[in-house]
Amino acid sequence: MKPFFAIVRREFLSYFFSPLAYVVLTASLVMNGILFSGLLQALNSPETPRSMFWSLYFTNVFFWIFIMAQSMIIAMRLLAEERKSGSIEALLTAPVSEAVVVAGKFTGGWFFLLFLWLPTILYPVLLSRFGAVDVGPVASGYLGMALVGALFVSAGTFASAITKNQIVAAIVGFVFIICTFFVGVFQSFVNDPEMRDRLSYLNLLEHMDDFSRGIVDTRRLVYTLSMVVFFLFLSTRALEANKGK
Amino acid sequence: MLDVQGLSKSFFGAVAVDNVTFRVESGEILGFLGPNGAGKTTTMRMITGFLPPSAGRVFLDGVDIHEKPIAAKKHLGYLPETLALYPEMRVQEYVKFRAQLCGVPSREIPDRCHEAIEKCFVDDVAKKPIGTLSKGYRQRVGLAGALVHRPKVLILDEPTVGLDPRQIVKVRELIRNLKKDHTILLSTHILPEVELVCDRVVIIDRGRLVASGSPENLRQQMSQAPGLTAVVKGEVTEADTVLREIPGVLRAARIGAGGETRILLDCEKGHDIREAVFREAVTRNWTLLELTPRQASLEDVFVRLVTQVNDEDRQKTLPDAEEVPEEADGAKES
Repeated sequence: MKPFFAIVRREFLSYFFSPLAYVVLTASLVMNGILFSGLLQALNSPETPRSMFWSLYFTNVFFWIFIMAQSMIIAMRLLAEERKSGSIEALLTAPVSEAVVVAGKFTGGWFFLLFLWLPTILYPVLLSRFGAVDVGPVASGYLGMALVGALFVSAGTFASAITKNQIVAAIVGFVFIICTFFVGVFQSFVNDPEMRDRLSYLNLLEHMDDFSRGIVDTRRLVYTLSMVVFFLFLSTRALEANKGK
Repeated sequence: MLDVQGLSKSFFGAVAVDNVTFRVESGEILGFLGPNGAGKTTTMRMITGFLPPSAGRVFLDGVDIHEKPIAAKKHLGYLPETLALYPEMRVQEYVKFRAQLCGVPSREIPDRCHEAIEKCFVDDVAKKPIGTLSKGYRQRVGLAGALVHRPKVLILDEPTVGLDPRQIVKVRELIRNLKKDHTILLSTHILPEVELVCDRVVIIDRGRLVASGSPENLRQQMSQAPGLTAVVKGEVTEADTVLREIPGVLRAARIGAGGETRILLDCEKGHDIREAVFREAVTRNWTLLELTPRQASLEDVFVRLVTQVNDEDRQKTLPDAEEVPEEADGAKES
């Protein structure tokens, strides 16, 4: 386990040495701030139920754009950078398996995504000064965000494993992320009720909708986690096949 | 300690390494020699488990690296040629990271890092980010990272490439010191380096093993005709004809210059003619100033071997041999 944590730590900390990370960090804070105040203004009437705010915060279109872009940018360098520079050679000749390297790098990247969202914890704290905040939906909303983020970062990790070029990794990663998103959205275009039902399992929109209302459904957990494992498995295989090239 | 058996690798049908077999015994420095593109790096990558071989096996301390990679890699320290380290990390942090990666117990990490940093003479830059260091320092930081877990086998891929002469001397000295604790496989195309550092040499060309043995052995084996240079005081015009008569002498050439006569003798293998030359000089009343055996340098051996191989299949590819002396010269200059 120690090599795994060493890789996670190095990966997480390395973000703070790249200017890109600070750009993403700043942009996320600014956008989240605008979103927060915009939502507050829009919902600032006594008739609006309080819970409405959080379900909107975690399901609006900006939320999806942010988390997709962030995941893409965080994941693009994970493996591509090391393969390009050649430092992967020293890493993989240490007594660690490719799976540990992939898992460690993914986890480091995912932690950085969570770090980007950490300042937004301030919002419920801020709101709690002006009225009671229901902790449940907020917590499950963040849980949903963490899971969706994990899924997107793992998809980006796979993209990063199949190319040495970070820009290509970003674009391909974005395609993968969009695909995982839209495969569930197709639900709305299908008439067959049975098919519609099945697709709803894959629908990340519904998924976040549940979480933002405080519903933690194990089927959602299983789906996201198994997708993460699937993408990490693909990344490991891709790394094994491509490492020397 | 390191056992390489019938290692082969082909990339898309092109053979890069062809049935290479050798052993490195415990506590030995083996020089892995070959011109650029001979397959040195590919072989080393297969030995370290980074590339899967098309055929053949590699045993590190008896463990097959491709069957039990994690167990085998515990005994392995590898300094790749590319030497890409993480530029943002400090030297200390990097060595610590390597120690954690290689499963050094937490309690021992500070001591081991200290030991590795000191061993590689990088203690004066321990707190600097790797990206700000010169290449010579980075090379030694890479080495410190490679040996922090006290591997039994160290594999160094061209460790002195791109260093200035002073750094080269330092790195060579370092490698010689490491011999005490590690078995070392060192790849290089710099010939004097091999003679200075290595106990044994393996020469590879076009992916094939062309020779192996100690540097002296190779030199003796390969020197076609051992030679002798005799220098006699004064202009002695008949010197070459006289010495040609000594049994065992094949050729004799005379160069007279500056009040000296220099005679270059080629002799048959196994004949020691030094005494005969001396006696001849005494009877003729020559003043013998110098009598030097002329040995083929390892460079000669290398060039000859590589040229031979190239002659055999010259029709297939361009001759590489011309490239080799050039490199060797470059190495001599530095």
